[in-house]
Formats: sequence, structure tokens, C-alpha cells
Amino acid sequence: MSIALNVITGFLGSGKTTLLKRLLQGESLGDTALLINEFGDVGIDHLLVEDIAPDTVLLPSGCVCCSIRGELKEALLTLLQRRERGEIPAFKRVILETTGLADPAPILATLNNDVQLRGRLHIGLVITLVDASHAVLQERLHPEWLAQVAAADRVLVSKTDLAGDCTALRAHLRALNAGTPILDTHAIHSGDQLLLGEGLRSAEPAIEVSRWQLHQTTTASHGTAQVCSLTFDQPLDWVGFGVWLSMLLRCHGERILRVKGLLNVNASNTPIVIHGVQHCLHAPVHLPAWPGSDRQSRLVFILRGLDPALLRRSFDVFSRRFAA
Amino acid sequence: MCGLCGLLGEDLHWSDPLGDELPRRRERLRRIAAINQVLAVFRLKVEDFQGASYLLLGATGKQALASGLDQLWQAAQDMLGRPLDPLDPKLLDHLECNPL
Repeated sequence: MSIALNVITGFLGSGKTTLLKRLLQGESLGDTALLINEFGDVGIDHLLVEDIAPDTVLLPSGCVCCSIRGELKEALLTLLQRRERGEIPAFKRVILETTGLADPAPILATLNNDVQLRGRLHIGLVITLVDASHAVLQERLHPEWLAQVAAADRVLVSKTDLAGDCTALRAHLRALNAGTPILDTHAIHSGDQLLLGEGLRSAEPAIEVSRWQLHQTTTASHGTAQVCSLTFDQPLDWVGFGVWLSMLLRCHGERILRVKGLLNVNASNTPIVIHGVQHCLHAPVHLPAWPGSDRQSRLVFILRGLDPALLRRSFDVFSRRFAA
Repeated sequence: MCGLCGLLGEDLHWSDPLGDELPRRRERLRRIAAINQVLAVFRLKVEDFQGASYLLLGATGKQALASGLDQLWQAAQDMLGRPLDPLDPKLLDHLECNPL
């Protein structure tokens, strides 16, 4: 049985360790293995949670980026081996806390592409913490901020007590990553609440489709990011779509911070949900049925430095070509 | 592995067939036909190799093997000397103006 790997990310000082430390005291995260990726010579975060979760594994060499994918893999494999040997309790989920400077994409790529990990672990939720008091500055100065927000399945806004009115920030986050729940860290009291559903695989299908249908996204620019929303009524040719999207991600992956979609495809009578971060697209998830008569497909791209109009034209040309 | 022909099959990819209505080999040929529609613009061609890999053929006789779509796009880029950009207006114009 595959184990969910949940990723907690957020820029430096956004309160990841504080949140984890608070939630690990509760019972609901009792069967959780925790991996912490710390940047710097002395891993302080590791010590902060050590007394609560003694099975914490620290990835020593800093930022989770392409260069330490192997290390992440080793850490995960060691964890699984120790679990199989009975050296540690049989945890039912893994939480990986990234450094504040990490781009989540390579983590997802490691899990997706590695043959030893694939099948044993799957991506659960990517939870991104946003520091309400410094969000504007961090977005402007650090490209990682946008990558972290774009990759999120759930956004938690922290330090709202210091920032005052967060209405504009919430609206901005909602516009950037439409349909993603935006919660307040103060409102999260247990691990169950944090990881509710643990990703698309266990989400309630009817709710998942409704979520897509309710959140209408429009194509617009938000700071350095462009959100491109495509909707179409005709069922999509899955083979042609696969050729187009794989070609697009290969060529422009680093500029496509996120792609997600609810699709009506000719190869399936049921809705298909796709999720991807940069070059890496997860295996499509089949939902059991369409809840109503609305079968419109929706695709949302969060882009950095790509022209949404050109993307739309490319999609139209390819889909017409393959529909023929 | 296919029980009838003993082929190992292609490595897993997110764009693999969603259902099992058609045999895997037939689905694979559909994918190759779709790829060839795009590659024809660049005077490249792809053929199936043992049900597991793609054989990329250039206009001047160059050949390359690729196992999986990602490797195939990389091989095509190496052969052409430039990336295969699906947003390239020239490619889009060509696809629009040259129906099947």
C-alpha cells in the first residue's frame, strides 16, 4: 500500500516548524514520519521538533533542489527500510518540511520519476505557508515564493495577527492559485485538519468536481505571474492532448509553475483530474462520475514569463488538429 | 509485459491510455501517429521500436532511439539543434494551414 508524502513548504520564517511543532503534540499526527530539510551548517529545526518526534530524519546538505534529489531518495528509502524492519513504528504518512528557499517541483519529480519510490510513496498534499506580514516583499524579491504558492494544494496564511487586514493578500492568493483552499494557521488545531483528505486520491469526488465548477478562473496577470484559464465544451482527444502537454512541459516546464485541470476526454466517461508542477505531471486521477450535466473541461496554468494568448492559440490549434 | 507477444512495454508516463478498450500496442500506434503529425513539420519521423521505444528518423538519415516521450522530445531537439516549441507561431501556422 502506497504511503502519502505530504510536503510543507513556505518561505523562510513563515512558521512551518512552529506549526508542525504545535500539531505534532496532538494525537492525530502520532503515526507520521517527519523529514526536515534544513539549510545551513547546524540544523536547528531538527532540534526544535526532536523531543516530540524522535524519528525525524534531517536531510543535511541544504536546499531541496535538483542536486540533492538523490539524498531525498536515500532518506525516504532508509525510512521505508527501517519501517519494514520494525525499527520504527509503521507510520501511515510522511511529512516533509522543506527549507524556506526550496522550490517544491524537484521533490515532486523525485517521487514521480524514481522507480524505487514510485508505487511505495505518492504525493499527498503540498501545503504552503504564506507569511502575511512579509508576503508582498517576498513575492517581489524571491522567485521561490511564487513557485511555492503556485504548487500548493492548500495555502495557510500565518502571522495574520501581525499583519492586520489580510483581505487583499487573500484575494491575491485566490487569484494566483484559484480553487485552492486558503486557511489561517490559527484555525488549524490538529493534524487531521491540516491534512484533511490528504490529496486528490482520497478527496470526495463530487466535492472535487464542484470545486472546479464553482471556481471560475479568468486569464489575468498577477504580479510576475500570469494565470491562463482554458475551458472547452467538446470532449478532448487524450492522445493528442498528451502529445501537446508533454511537448509544452518539456520546452517550457520551468515557466509553467503549475498546471491543473478537470477534463472531459473522449477516452473516458468520467472526469479526469490532472495536476502538475513545472516539468512534472502526476498520474491522472479518475473520478467516479460527473455529478451533474455540466461536463465542461477546465485547464488552469500559472505561468511566469509565458504569453497566455500564445498558449491559448497553441492549445486551440492542437486540439482542432487532433479532433479532426 | 504483454502475454501474447512478450513485449516489455513502454515506461510509465502520465499520458498513457486511460482505459483498456484497445490493446496497448494499438494505443501506442495511435500515439505515434499523433506525434508524427507534429514532427512532419520538422521533417522528422517516429517509428515504433519493439513496442518499448521510439525510433526517431531525420531527413538526412540520422537515427536515434528514445524510451518514453520526454526522451523523444529531447532526441528531436538534439537532432534539430533547437527545441520543439509547441508555442512557435510558425509551427502553429503550418498546422493550421495544412490540414490532414
